[in-house]
Amino acid sequence: MIIEILKRIWQIFLLLVLQVFLMNHIHIMGYGSPLVCVALLLYFPVNANRVLTMLWAFLLGFLVDVFSSTPGLSAASMTLVAFLQPGWLRLWVPKDSPEDFLPDFRTMGRWNHLRYLTALLLLHHGVYYLLESFSFFNLTDLCMTAGISFGFSWLSIVVLELLRRGEKKHA
Amino acid sequence: MFAWIEWIKTHLHWLVFLLLETASLVMLFRFNMYHHSVWNTQANAVAGKVLAWENELHSYLKMKELNGQLVRENLILMHNNRVMAEELESLKHDTTYVERLMAAQLDTLNHIPARVISNSVRMKDNLMTLDKGAADGVREEMGVVSGTGVVGIIYETSPHYSLVLPVLNSNSSISCRLRGTDFFGSLTWKGGSPLDAFLDGIPLHARFRVGDIVETSGHSSVFPPGIFVGKVSEVFSSQDGTSYELKVRLSVDMANLRDVIIIDNPDWQEIDTLQSRAMGGGLQ
Repeated sequence: MIIEILKRIWQIFLLLVLQVFLMNHIHIMGYGSPLVCVALLLYFPVNANRVLTMLWAFLLGFLVDVFSSTPGLSAASMTLVAFLQPGWLRLWVPKDSPEDFLPDFRTMGRWNHLRYLTALLLLHHGVYYLLESFSFFNLTDLCMTAGISFGFSWLSIVVLELLRRGEKKHA
Repeated sequence: MFAWIEWIKTHLHWLVFLLLETASLVMLFRFNMYHHSVWNTQANAVAGKVLAWENELHSYLKMKELNGQLVRENLILMHNNRVMAEELESLKHDTTYVERLMAAQLDTLNHIPARVISNSVRMKDNLMTLDKGAADGVREEMGVVSGTGVVGIIYETSPHYSLVLPVLNSNSSISCRLRGTDFFGSLTWKGGSPLDAFLDGIPLHARFRVGDIVETSGHSSVFPPGIFVGKVSEVFSSQDGTSYELKVRLSVDMANLRDVIIIDNPDWQEIDTLQSRAMGGGLQ
């Protein structure tokens, strides 16, 4: 239990550092920064406590908000994705898998995992940029920003996953 | 009796979801430009400190001393240049009382150099954090400029940090004029490219060309007149057709900003109080 909590705190710390110190400084073509904090939700097993999942996601979202002066924005979108994640994950779990099945390149198959990841990312970016542009509706701009940002977040998260897999092989 | 406890147990995740979403949305929609609170932004002490450390590291890599010195030097030279240009102008024709007054005003300016520790350009309401705060003499409503032009206005201060409402914020509005004329309007930003802003309210009989210089008008108490803002890049007519709307290419690259100067002018503050008193204090 304690190890579980420490692991989550470590993941949140890493993603926060990555988001605030690296990704927030990248402005592709003048707008759209990658949002990688949603990667946290890829590390929850299928039998994870839904309430705890949401609380962890909210915490990371809130911290990212504090460091980027976007009060409530990441927190709201992270919570929503965390709420929908278990149902979505269940669709991809193979029938004969263990109870604490952890989605991964290997356990899930490369393509299924990519599809699972892409959908979570799409949802997160959709909600984030819709909320951000709430009072300011400019559809082309919105799609441009969200699209560019989504593309780069997707790349970064796939690279992250590849790094994670490499690490596990070594261990 | 136990039925509803069971019900809550099975639906707990719904309740937590609604609670967390409500909390986030309250934060999102309550934080507007009139809500004086900085605890959940970068200007709070902890986030400010961490971002300041990060910035230290960055500027070490980018030769921070040299950079700051150059900007300060540049600003002083530009300021001198402006004073001299004004002097020259006043020598060309009759030296009027107003012009001498203006030159005197420029001399009274106090400069507080500061460093940008955090900045964004991709949101619709961007904010910027500086490493100087109330303890360094920074107050709300002071103007912020860089070596190349206007950056924004101080919006909130904490003891050691301050939050700037930059030009790239949909709530920002800065009174500007076309250099060499008295036609003025307000400069606003409508999202999109961080290099383009819009100047509204230039009357249809105004004469100007694409490429003309836009500078601060001095009509507000925040900036002295004549600080460079940008150049006219395109001309549109406003939605109601009664004035021009000019697209302005900003001279400051907000995405790449490190050293700035906060303009402190005690006289302008006094003028501001006088004005608001004259207007009954409640008209703004």
